[in-house]
Amino acid sequence: MTAEIFSMTTNANKKVRRRAVLLTQCVLLGTAFAWRADAAEPASGEQATRELTQPTSELEVGVGDVTQGSYKFGEYNGLQHEGAFPILNFDLSGGGLYNSDSLERWSARGADLGIDTRQLDVDYAQQGKFRIDLGYDQLRHNISDTYQTPYSGAGTDLLLLPSGWLKPRVPQVNPNNLNDRALSPITGLASAVTTSGQVAPPNATQRAAVNAIINADVPAFHNYNLYTNRYRWNAGLAVNLSRHWQFTAGVRQERRDGTQPLGAISSGVQENSVILPVPIDTVTEQYDAGLRYASSRATFDIGYYGSIFHNNVKSITWNDPADSTQTPSMSSAPSNQFHQLNIAGGYSFTPGTRLTVAGSYGRSTQNEAFLSDASLPLGLPATSADALIISTALDVKLTARPTRALNLGAEYRFDDQDNRTSVGRFVFYDANMQPGPNPSAFNAALGLAPGTLRSNVNIFENRPHSRRLNQADLNADYAVAAGHNVALGYRWQGIQRHCHDTWITCENAATSNESTVRGEWRANWLEQLSTRVAYAYSTRAVDYNPNAWLALVPMANVVPGAPVVGATTSVYGYLTQSGLTGWGPAAGFPATPLTGNAAIFSPNNNIVPQSLYGSRDNVSELPGMRRFDMADRRRHKLRSSLDWQASERLSLQAEGEFNKDDYQHSEYGLLQSQISALHLEGSYVFNDNFELPVFYSHEDLRSSIAGDGFGSNTGAAFVGRPGNTLVAGGCYATVLEKNHNGKIDPCLRWFTDMRERADTFGLTLARNNLSGGRLSLAGDVVGTLARTHISVRGGSYANNPFALANAPPLAPGVPAVFFIPAVDLPPVTTRILEIRLRAQFALSRASQLNLLAAYQRLKSSDFAYDGMQFGTGTEQLPTNEQPYSYSTAVFGISYVHRFF
Amino acid sequence: MMLRGATLLAVLLLGAWSGASRAEEAVPGTDRSLKGDAVCTHCHDETEAKPVLSIYKTPHGVKADERTPGCQSCHGASAAHVKNPEGASTRPLVDINFGVRGAAAARLQAETCLGCHTGGQREHWAGSEHERRDVPCTSCHVIHAGQDRVMNRVTQQEACFACHKTQRAQIHRISAHPLAVGEMGCSDCHNPHGSIGPVLMAKNSINETCYTCHAERRGPFLWSHQPVQEDCTTCHTPHGSNNPALLKVRTPWLCQQCHTSDHSGPMNSGANLPGGNATTVNGLLPLANQSPRSQLNARNCLSCHSMVHGSNHPAGARFSK
Repeated sequence: MTAEIFSMTTNANKKVRRRAVLLTQCVLLGTAFAWRADAAEPASGEQATRELTQPTSELEVGVGDVTQGSYKFGEYNGLQHEGAFPILNFDLSGGGLYNSDSLERWSARGADLGIDTRQLDVDYAQQGKFRIDLGYDQLRHNISDTYQTPYSGAGTDLLLLPSGWLKPRVPQVNPNNLNDRALSPITGLASAVTTSGQVAPPNATQRAAVNAIINADVPAFHNYNLYTNRYRWNAGLAVNLSRHWQFTAGVRQERRDGTQPLGAISSGVQENSVILPVPIDTVTEQYDAGLRYASSRATFDIGYYGSIFHNNVKSITWNDPADSTQTPSMSSAPSNQFHQLNIAGGYSFTPGTRLTVAGSYGRSTQNEAFLSDASLPLGLPATSADALIISTALDVKLTARPTRALNLGAEYRFDDQDNRTSVGRFVFYDANMQPGPNPSAFNAALGLAPGTLRSNVNIFENRPHSRRLNQADLNADYAVAAGHNVALGYRWQGIQRHCHDTWITCENAATSNESTVRGEWRANWLEQLSTRVAYAYSTRAVDYNPNAWLALVPMANVVPGAPVVGATTSVYGYLTQSGLTGWGPAAGFPATPLTGNAAIFSPNNNIVPQSLYGSRDNVSELPGMRRFDMADRRRHKLRSSLDWQASERLSLQAEGEFNKDDYQHSEYGLLQSQISALHLEGSYVFNDNFELPVFYSHEDLRSSIAGDGFGSNTGAAFVGRPGNTLVAGGCYATVLEKNHNGKIDPCLRWFTDMRERADTFGLTLARNNLSGGRLSLAGDVVGTLARTHISVRGGSYANNPFALANAPPLAPGVPAVFFIPAVDLPPVTTRILEIRLRAQFALSRASQLNLLAAYQRLKSSDFAYDGMQFGTGTEQLPTNEQPYSYSTAVFGISYVHRFF
Repeated sequence: MMLRGATLLAVLLLGAWSGASRAEEAVPGTDRSLKGDAVCTHCHDETEAKPVLSIYKTPHGVKADERTPGCQSCHGASAAHVKNPEGASTRPLVDINFGVRGAAAARLQAETCLGCHTGGQREHWAGSEHERRDVPCTSCHVIHAGQDRVMNRVTQQEACFACHKTQRAQIHRISAHPLAVGEMGCSDCHNPHGSIGPVLMAKNSINETCYTCHAERRGPFLWSHQPVQEDCTTCHTPHGSNNPALLKVRTPWLCQQCHTSDHSGPMNSGANLPGGNATTVNGLLPLANQSPRSQLNARNCLSCHSMVHGSNHPAGARFSK
């Protein structure tokens, strides 16, 4: 069984109440709870002393049972399956006695040996001379037991659809396009709007087609449980070379296997995707070695750390459900290495004055061979990324105590991530996309024959981001009176970002500066009452560059050629001359036709056509969008706490915190976020054998986001056929007005406010020395209620499905276009209840019986799962996953024997 | 900046030299042998409610190791406590009391421990968050016990959550690291003794710490996702979340905090869900024709852009390969 901790501790500086810690696992961890057996047979003084001072060993064996299997319940605790399981734990210690001449100490610990989360640790030491430790740790991560897939080969890198697989399509909607709603007889066989504007059920041929699809494809869907295993070995050595010098070394190997879900795109045009059961097969090796010096004044540390990651899965290949003869592929995480040298040293000029200097140099490399496929019409510019990041860091800190009441600190930190990965040009078509009918405007510029590349090609260059941080901190803490401390602090943080060798700056925020001031007051009013209030204010200023996206598209610096006619500058030239971003002018359909470069680069005042910079998709962002992690920001942080030992029996605590981030210059993206929390805690001690700690926490997280679903300015005056001109709702009454303002329609601006509230409560009851002192009982309850509300303001347009070219005109007054207001999302809620009861009965001085009863229930609702079911998605293959829910009990009985 | 820094350094050094000093040698008049301990264990014996003798199970109690302390090495000679003068209503406390009642200043307690346990994991203790807030060593460490609770990741959390109550609540959320089940400890990511990284990270930065378990995210990638490369906590909240994959905000809105281009721009609302007004065009669109917005439903953005931490595929610029 796994260990689950529930802590009802009070403030660290107050009298430590006895913790009621309920372990479903190892009774062998002596500090976790009192050994009850001492009450079974009172010990003589000598015996009691021996038990307190000698190495102690314990062995626990037993059996447990899980009433209902659930991957979510057993997500990390190894109890995912219904049924019985063995309980086996041990904690063995030995070596010389404290009062002997022996330095030998050893221990061997094993936990959860009967289930998939087992751990084993062995260590041996000649204390003061050397120490060796070995360990093994196994962890199973259960992901989903409701996932379904039609693919065979799950868990391998080749995923195949059954030989009889038919392309899901709903012929009465579109005879050719992939449409996963065909997999459901309800949606697949439903009526559809014909091109003549009639609502008609599928004809016999269409019904037969859908039925054939259902009969061929649906039986292929089968459950496949998704989980991963982690197996970790470690070994360590520490040798005291002398009184002051120590050498340490360690190695850790971690192997992972299993299967996890991963989204995979089958078609970039129609955005078709599948959730594949992809294999995990990785090995991570970590090494460290160090030499350490320590004396009363000086310390010095030099050490090496290395991490080597191997991924034995190089790629994933799968059948396209839209055409099972096609096998797209995608890469996986590349194997990589990281090697780092760390040096640190410190010197205490006086007991209150210390200088610490630390530095590191690291190299992160990756040289996995590129995959190549048909999406790369010009092949590869290189065989691998040959990626390299050099990381260097320096930290200098001086702390001083010039008087007993005053503490000062100054710290400087430098952290540089220098990305020296080469920049290369990569020409590709999006996933499974055929070259389009029109030629690219850059064939000539690239020295290619006309028409070699098509207008829907992507001509990109990678952007190796580098980042340099400089940070300075000043802190002062002054005891203004006995028990009252005031602290002040200031931090300045400067960040510089850049890319080597990109044709233009790649960074939205090449430079950012942030200053923080903070103040804190800590007060011990009485020995029983202490309070703390702290506030920090930060302001970050950034010179934001909205055209940093240009670095991705080198053709933005090339004058487009045929079939584009008349361009005299490049996209970059046009934006520089006009002062615009890729979004173009904030204007509607021009009253008079644009000419010259404006007509080419901002046709009808619309966004710069992506084909003019060698991209299939629009890459530029809205003006006013600021990526929040590098946007101007004002931040407030407030903390407060109160700790009151109201009486010998009763202690109370309260804490509050409030954080607010305001992105004051952001018009789009994250505008604001706020976190507030309240924590209440109390503990009542009835007597030495009975106490009741309780806690309650409330957390409230809010964020506001803005965006714009802008369209294009067009001159279209109707939908389908002339006469279909009305718009219902929104900002414009007619189709022409709406289309003339497609890009700047204020009704397409949207706002989303997210609010997540979480309440957690807990209590523990512990009652000891029952039944003549042999029995102790403990129970704890933890409950969590979390709910996320997403409210949306704004709207979008949708055409009347009957406004078609071949359909009769809409009746007078019937809108051709509807403005559909936004609707809030259904709340995402999670309710978790955990109850644990434990009894320990002392059989003798050396043995006891443990009984456990635990119950856990989870109920959740999440609208995202609605779109995973048959019949809901058009472009996404369903997986039929269900929201997490379980109601599970665990019982256990075990015998524990202690020996010396 | 440099001149101000130099001036500040000079002021601090001047202040430091003028500050009071404390003897660094072993407490005079103490005896670390068992005979010396007997001064204390004469009273604090096996009948003590708090099992002080359990220290002899621990490395502190190995007398053959000449580095180990005696009782008075840490608690001071405590002559007044030992002698208990006549007429005193209560026995005077020991010179350095690590308890709560009449506890010595946190700094004094720390200096006692750091007299031996200097360097290594505690290299950056001076000026660290815990040190500045007067958190003494015994807030977390239990010395007079057969096993120190913080040396075991199962019981370690008890110490941390005494103060870090937000994190205590978060580990019980639906998406969390395996802390609540004891498969991880706080010290897997944090060094509570001090660090040059932010928020007491065990490694030099947040990302370096995350990569010790999640090396598959390290890259460097051909196509790197900048917020990922800078700071994992741009998107993730590592202690627990009501959103999948420990995300601070669920997708697609997380993505829309930074992206407005192409199909990331339009609004996602309940109207775009299966059966929503946008999906049905106010009920006009028959069932077969309806198409809920794929950027909102199911795994939304991550259905296609699954290589969101970075891609090494030559055609993976959009993190979909």
